[in-house]
Amino acid sequence: MRIFQNTNFDFLGKRKIAYIFSGLFLSIGLLSLLFRGIEFGIDFKGGSEIALEFEKPIQISEIRDYLSDLGLGNVEVKTFGGETGILVRSELQEIPNELFPKVIETLEQIINKNFPDINFNLVDSTRASVTYQINDKDKLESIIRTLFQNGFQATKFSQEEDNDKFIVRVGISDWIQENLLANMPDNKFQVLKEDNVGPKIGKELKRDAVVAVLLALVVILVYLGFRFKFVFALGAVAALFHDVLITLGVFSILYNVIPGLNLEISISVVAAFLTLVGYSINDTVIVFDRIRENIKIHKTAPLEDNINKAINKTIPRTVITSLTTLVVVTVLLFFGGEVLRAFAFTLFFGILIGTYSSVFVASPFVLEYAKRIKKGIQF
Amino acid sequence: MKEFRFRIILILGAVALSLYLLYPTYADSQNTKLINSKLEQFRDSLRTTNPELSEDRFERLVSMREDEIFASNPDFRDAREKRIKLGLDLQGGMYLVMEVNTAKLLEKLAKDPDQKFLEILNEAEQQAKIEEVNVVSILAQKLQQNNIRLSRYFGSIRQDDSEIISSLEDQESDAVTRAIEIIRNRVDQYGVSEPSIQRQGARRIIVELPGISKEEDAKRLLQGSALLEFKIVRDADFTIQVMNAVDNKLAELLKSPSDTVNVGDTTAVEDMTEEQFAREHPFFSIAMINPQSPFADAFVRQSDRPKLESYLVRPEIQNVIPDNVQFVFWAKPEATQDGEEIYRMILVNKKAELTGGVIVDAQSNIDPQTSAPIVNMQMNSEGAREWARITGANIDKRCAIILDGVVYSAPTIRNKIPSGNSVIEGIGDLTEAKLLEIVLKAGALPAPVDIIEERTVGPSLGQDSINQGFNSTLIGLFLVAIFMIFYYSKTGVIADIALFFTVLFIMGILAGFSATLTLPGIAGIILTIGMAVDANVIIYERIREELSTGKTIRAAIQSGYSNSYSAIFDSNITTFFTGVILYQFGSGPVQGFALTLMIGIACSLFAALVVTRVVLDMMAAKGMKVNIG
Repeated sequence: MRIFQNTNFDFLGKRKIAYIFSGLFLSIGLLSLLFRGIEFGIDFKGGSEIALEFEKPIQISEIRDYLSDLGLGNVEVKTFGGETGILVRSELQEIPNELFPKVIETLEQIINKNFPDINFNLVDSTRASVTYQINDKDKLESIIRTLFQNGFQATKFSQEEDNDKFIVRVGISDWIQENLLANMPDNKFQVLKEDNVGPKIGKELKRDAVVAVLLALVVILVYLGFRFKFVFALGAVAALFHDVLITLGVFSILYNVIPGLNLEISISVVAAFLTLVGYSINDTVIVFDRIRENIKIHKTAPLEDNINKAINKTIPRTVITSLTTLVVVTVLLFFGGEVLRAFAFTLFFGILIGTYSSVFVASPFVLEYAKRIKKGIQF
Repeated sequence: MKEFRFRIILILGAVALSLYLLYPTYADSQNTKLINSKLEQFRDSLRTTNPELSEDRFERLVSMREDEIFASNPDFRDAREKRIKLGLDLQGGMYLVMEVNTAKLLEKLAKDPDQKFLEILNEAEQQAKIEEVNVVSILAQKLQQNNIRLSRYFGSIRQDDSEIISSLEDQESDAVTRAIEIIRNRVDQYGVSEPSIQRQGARRIIVELPGISKEEDAKRLLQGSALLEFKIVRDADFTIQVMNAVDNKLAELLKSPSDTVNVGDTTAVEDMTEEQFAREHPFFSIAMINPQSPFADAFVRQSDRPKLESYLVRPEIQNVIPDNVQFVFWAKPEATQDGEEIYRMILVNKKAELTGGVIVDAQSNIDPQTSAPIVNMQMNSEGAREWARITGANIDKRCAIILDGVVYSAPTIRNKIPSGNSVIEGIGDLTEAKLLEIVLKAGALPAPVDIIEERTVGPSLGQDSINQGFNSTLIGLFLVAIFMIFYYSKTGVIADIALFFTVLFIMGILAGFSATLTLPGIAGIILTIGMAVDANVIIYERIREELSTGKTIRAAIQSGYSNSYSAIFDSNITTFFTGVILYQFGSGPVQGFALTLMIGIACSLFAALVVTRVVLDMMAAKGMKVNIG
């Protein structure tokens, strides 16, 4: 079967339309980036995040209500996976000072209620945990189990035999779990994942991510500059900038628009961006390789013809490879699960835009440059 | 056919190698099924026999039983070691990034810190949170601004600031080393399988604990300060006595009713078969004693350790061991025999003579006279007083140095040490001396660590991810394969064979490197499936073009390939570069993705350039009709 047989389409002749199209997309994306901004995930922002899986379907709005007056400030609640999963996120990393007494009170109430004849006193407390000493050390294990059942993580202070102390972690996720358990006693949940990222890590990651993407562009520029004429390298990198910026714009525009699609920048999304860079450059290089070949064979033909011919000759391959890759990425988007969704989306969109840019951005860039300098490009 | 022989051997070799490398992964999954069914039986029987067992204890017994099953068959362990490992995001577990809290360390190190110092330290700490500068240098700078010399708080008066700064930085680096040793020690004792503890940069430690579900337990494990104890080792006669008692009791407990006939059997020890010996002396058969040695130290194989430990915690056995003594294991293996590590076990007094808080400092050195490695240890005045009494009363006995419950060394006390300055001799090599120094300091100077990043994945999410990843791979593979056949008909089948080999090679290489497969790593494989046909497509399209110029099929294949090389190499090398950068940037899961992506590129090139080529050439040589769509 052949979709394209001896196509002879004037791609470069249509480049003005492509400029308008790209320009439009870029400016909408940039405007959105400017005014709507972009959402960073916990990897970059820092904070606490917890994903829970309930036994029965839940109403997100209901959970939002339970969590709104927790004293944790802005708490985000989203679906995670199907209708039984939720993702709760707070920008805080530890319980704020003013909330601390309330958490302690809740904690002590739980112990009092379940073990009325036990005496205990607070011996130490830090921002992240409190330590209690009790008068009956044989009850330690059952107290710890009860606290676990109420959403608090507790453990013995030490494994020594005469230990009579236990530690309770008082973190954001414990407080959230405790409150959900108290509010929804007949819909049990289990913790799918829990992340806690310090602000320092996020800052470093942001820097590393930017460095990685820029480094990738520089390496590509150098390698292609070495293998091709420098203008080709510039054209390829211009196309990559185009792809990355437009995809970022799409992230900004579509964030929180499509239900079930959490479009925020996480580490895996950055990985997807780098992959998109790698994929898009792959396409571009194959067109360039053909242009290089054509220029060598048809030395006297105008550059525009050579480029057009190259694009036409490679278009079957460009389309087929994009198609097979799009197919697997679509599979990933629908069957790959919640964790990979934003990653798959980035690649899905990136492949579309990357294929487009290798034909309509990278090659026209070379042509425009050649026209400006009024000199033929030779190899 | 001769012209193809080399390439066919190459391909068959690659396939055979991949299958060979993948076999342990398959075997391990079969073993796991078997072990799980055995464990389920064990759980059931345990529940019926001991219904009132507490949950912790129950789980501990189950995990001991698991270790025992695992150790019973060397093939199990072998397969486990060589399989493709699953990342934390797939099997569940905890990932932690910890940082040594330099401010706390400095506070501990400072000589009589006053209010002013604490204020400045606090400021420095806050500033270090925002900037990428070390607390030590910020503190030094701030003290200088306040016209305070560093020697007011650290080091000695004769030292200038730069000397003190560099010594403080050394202290910081030491603290990280110490923290790693403490963590490794505890993680080993806790029985986490395949933990990973790495140092990152100057002050960070990355810990990965697969399969940990009780986070707080794990964090206590990592953060609590270490307990260093000195305990007197019991003499050989007494130890043998206790061991005999344990051995007899065990033999009695383990004897099944059918064995009672053998009671009174007077066979001499040397005539017994190994099996018989194991039945008569269940303790001594796994805790071996060297009769030539003046000590009654027992040597236990790694694989027997869980069994022995489970014997020792039995209440009946606890009853025959005197209350004031306990068995303790060495932290590091003594030797290896037949590829298995051997641990030393000794009997010590339960009560510690002294704990590590009294140690002021320790240094590992080379004795100038004997050029043997030694460790010097200094104690504070209170400790020195106690130490003088202890050493005086226990001359010629051994004193075990125990950190968090495991022994690091048990030197013999030669004479009374009045000053608290002790020299430990008889250390194997300088590395061992260095380790002992770390251990001794761990008791004196805790290394405060903060958890700055923590990620936990529950086992159910991991399992979901595995299923989704596996399904997506199959669906993706199927769709791409169908498409290729649809578009290129017979040669599409060849491309599909190449595709299948690509996936096989990727998995083989992952297993060969014992790489870790993560969820993004699976995504990388899926993506590779889509992109792997690329080289084939480039070549096929080129062959079509060449055919349309009127070439014969053999010539078209020849020039189709040679004209595609530059495009294929240039495009894949650039993609490969981004993979390398990604690998550098990412951690854990993302590295897994970068790795599969890079391996995928290499494998798909091999498949397209060698596998497809051979099949096409052979078809053309045999005069078969090669139909490219």
